[in-house]
Amino acid sequence: MAVKTDIDPAVAKQTILDYCLKKGALVAGVADIKAIERIAPEGHRPSDMWPRAKSVISLGVGGQTQGAWHIPAKALGYFGSTEVRAYTIAYGAAFLIENKFGKRAIYCPPDMDTEAGPRVPFQSLKLHAELAGIGARSLAGDILLHPEFGYMYFASIFTELELEPDPPMQDNPCPTTSCVDLFRKTGQTPCMKFCPVQCLSGDIDADGNQAEMRYDMAACAEMTQQFESVPGVLADAIRAKDEEEREDLLFDAENKILWYKLSVGSGGLLGQCFECMRVCPIANQSPQADPIRRYEHRLQAAAGDDS
Amino acid sequence: MTRGLKRSQVGMSEEMIQTYGDTIFDLSHNLQIRRGDPVRELDWEEIEKQKENAGISDIEIARKLGLTHDQTTYIRTIMERRRFNRHNYHRLYDLGGGKRFRTDRFVPHPERFTFRPEAIALRKALDFDPRTASKYLKLGHWNGDTVTGWLDKWAKETPDAVAVRGPGGDITYAEQHERARRLANSLLDLGIQKGDVVAIQLPNLSEFTTVYFGVLMMGGVLSTMHMPYRAGEMKPLLEHANARAVVCAGAAENYDAPATMLGLRDEVATLEHVIVATGDAPGGALSLKTLIDDSRTTEIDNPPVASDPAILCFTSGTSAAPKAVVHSYQTMLANNRIAAPIYGMTQDDVVLGGPPFTHAFGLCVLNFTLMAGATSLLMPAFTPPALIDLIETGKPTVAFVAPAHVAACLKSGLLEDSDLSSIRIATISGSACPPDIAYALENAMPNGSVGQMWGMTECFMGLHTPFDGPADIRCETLGQTTPTFEARMVLENGDIAADGEEGELEIRGCSVIAGYFNNADANRTAFSGDGWFKTGDLACRDANGNVQITGRAKDLINRGGIKINPVDIEAVIDRHPAVLMSAIAPVPDDVLGERACAYIELQPDSNVTLEEICAWLDDNDVAKMKWPEKLEIVARMPLTPTRKIIKGALKPA
Repeated sequence: MAVKTDIDPAVAKQTILDYCLKKGALVAGVADIKAIERIAPEGHRPSDMWPRAKSVISLGVGGQTQGAWHIPAKALGYFGSTEVRAYTIAYGAAFLIENKFGKRAIYCPPDMDTEAGPRVPFQSLKLHAELAGIGARSLAGDILLHPEFGYMYFASIFTELELEPDPPMQDNPCPTTSCVDLFRKTGQTPCMKFCPVQCLSGDIDADGNQAEMRYDMAACAEMTQQFESVPGVLADAIRAKDEEEREDLLFDAENKILWYKLSVGSGGLLGQCFECMRVCPIANQSPQADPIRRYEHRLQAAAGDDS
Repeated sequence: MTRGLKRSQVGMSEEMIQTYGDTIFDLSHNLQIRRGDPVRELDWEEIEKQKENAGISDIEIARKLGLTHDQTTYIRTIMERRRFNRHNYHRLYDLGGGKRFRTDRFVPHPERFTFRPEAIALRKALDFDPRTASKYLKLGHWNGDTVTGWLDKWAKETPDAVAVRGPGGDITYAEQHERARRLANSLLDLGIQKGDVVAIQLPNLSEFTTVYFGVLMMGGVLSTMHMPYRAGEMKPLLEHANARAVVCAGAAENYDAPATMLGLRDEVATLEHVIVATGDAPGGALSLKTLIDDSRTTEIDNPPVASDPAILCFTSGTSAAPKAVVHSYQTMLANNRIAAPIYGMTQDDVVLGGPPFTHAFGLCVLNFTLMAGATSLLMPAFTPPALIDLIETGKPTVAFVAPAHVAACLKSGLLEDSDLSSIRIATISGSACPPDIAYALENAMPNGSVGQMWGMTECFMGLHTPFDGPADIRCETLGQTTPTFEARMVLENGDIAADGEEGELEIRGCSVIAGYFNNADANRTAFSGDGWFKTGDLACRDANGNVQITGRAKDLINRGGIKINPVDIEAVIDRHPAVLMSAIAPVPDDVLGERACAYIELQPDSNVTLEEICAWLDDNDVAKMKWPEKLEIVARMPLTPTRKIIKGALKPA
């Protein structure tokens, strides 16, 4: 690879971010890699994966369509994976950096650390996005929210190219006024109230800001991570008292879906739960939270330009 | 195992998992706590302070607790597996599309309804040959109909129509539905579950119909106990049925039913509740009225479906091995649906059911009436004047009676002068009907036709005569099989009898049960395995396909190798002026094996001798070899609820 030495970091940054937005990202920014190094747990810092990384670029793509929030949870799970779109953009951006600027880049693998098991990612994409200023931590299990785009999926790019980091978001949209009102009345925000396993709790201070967020991730995982069920079903089948019970365990409709998922590798049994986001006013009602709102926003913007 | 390493390679023991498991679980990502918004604000002091709360990595935990990285990962992943509630995601199935999760509405799977083992065992009585079941399902003979479904329909469509007319007055379909719903909820509150058996011993009262509909509405199985039964007869039946509750009448002068049932509750392991339907409930028993009045009309969550067991009736058998007949809604209601065109009943009909509801014939009539949305005219107890009075005042348009009902009215002289003009069709069934009885009823109905029907608990209605057919077919035969049913007469050697030849009647059709509940011996004897049920009745079929019952196979008397069928002889003896009713049964004989003994219940103030009976038979051209050789006068003939003589109860003095 030919190393370029005459790169203007500001131009490079703008070029990369423009590329991300052009390819479908709603937001993009550069995280402070030094901050990530200080905050991320040992083993999951950028330097643990690629010590030569100088910058971390984070981008976000839109979450659900508006219609998605109106279908049954078991069906919603199947198309919760808009993050794939984010990964594609990040993959392209890594190529762009190498092609255009001659600096090494990687699309940060969003998958789980094989040595640590399926609940531990290589890197925290949320931390990257938070520090890049494209999302703020919510009361809903640390999910990032954006005041304009609501709930998004994120992807990251590591590069040797040195880019000026962006600051975190100035304000946190969570909780909204209506959430604070509900909390004052019931002690729960909508995301806490409607969580099927009550994995969320917390507190809001006198100014209406987050005072404490408590997230029982294990309980949340039970709703969505059926990989734990596969060995469980097999263990139960081994212990079954007779053939009938064994047949029931292995060939129950739901368990057969597990085998189906294993054999064709198409997503989770129920995807994610999404109930906290289904009731979140930011995820649902932010100005450009979904394609319909974004379309309306574009129309309004176009009308403004005309006038 | 972590990174492919075994416990022994990592230096792990179960005790280490127990010791460090909870701490590692909590320090890891499994529980995350954040105070304020320190990362966004880049508040480094808070970030450092809260690191452990946010969940630290395995390396960091290992360092903190003095374990190796591998040990920590091993323990964490094992703890995550052990704490994982695999079925929590079932909560999602009811969410979305506008539905929100409510903790108070969610019942975890382990706490959800589970059939009792007894209920599962009862379903084995519905174990049909898959080929047979498939055929009935494909042809639509079995469908999704349930008794509750039919009641729901009429309660909605004709709420003000009279469902039941009895001594307590009229009950509309809406009222019947509400009472049943209230009772169903009360039974559920008592802990009676779907699939549980509720026994009942009640005459044909409106309380019976309410219990019938109520029990079935909550998915229970109703088991009927005949009215003459007492503790000795009922105990083995309640035990065989694993009954959870029993419904009975209030205490009467000659029978304290509640006291009997409370005594049985102490003896029958599964029996928990005694419900008294009429009169006062003594201490320890529940009042049906209270159960209905104090209940609610909440919709039943888990109602029965057509393949569920609906009723459990006992036919005969020893007390050690009762013959318990379990009908699903499919077998039970298919019979009414398929036979419906023969009877042409409509919502305008008032249906007099002579047979008791504790008998399958009675339930069959009740279902028939319900299917048509007609009115059930109740006859709680039979006497000739009571029956005639009920017909004259209740004006039934359809009547179902037993031969003995008609015979008793005929002998009492009430039939000739009665007003039976309201009846358009009258079905005689329950036992073999002498033609003169059928003709007598036909002649007494100026606007009605007599028909005959043959059925058994094991199959409900199996043979019918057409009401628009010639009188001789209707009065002298049982007609032809229920549409879609098949019948054949089988000779002793297994061959199929030719037309006009007598053989044992076997029947096959969509209402024939799969087998008796928990009675393998009886099943081997009575069922062929390919859908044929051996009825035990002797019959022959004429060239036109009309069937006549000629006797019971087990009633044949084997006199030195010569088989004597007692039916014709009994019919002749019954016509003797001194005889009210008769039965001929075998008595053991050292020389011939068996000889015939005539048991006779006399007309009031009458008497008769064996010689006089034999002379009467001689005068009526009955061959001498068929004459009885012994005579027993009985004070009261033992009768089944459908007024069939119980020959097994007849013993020589």
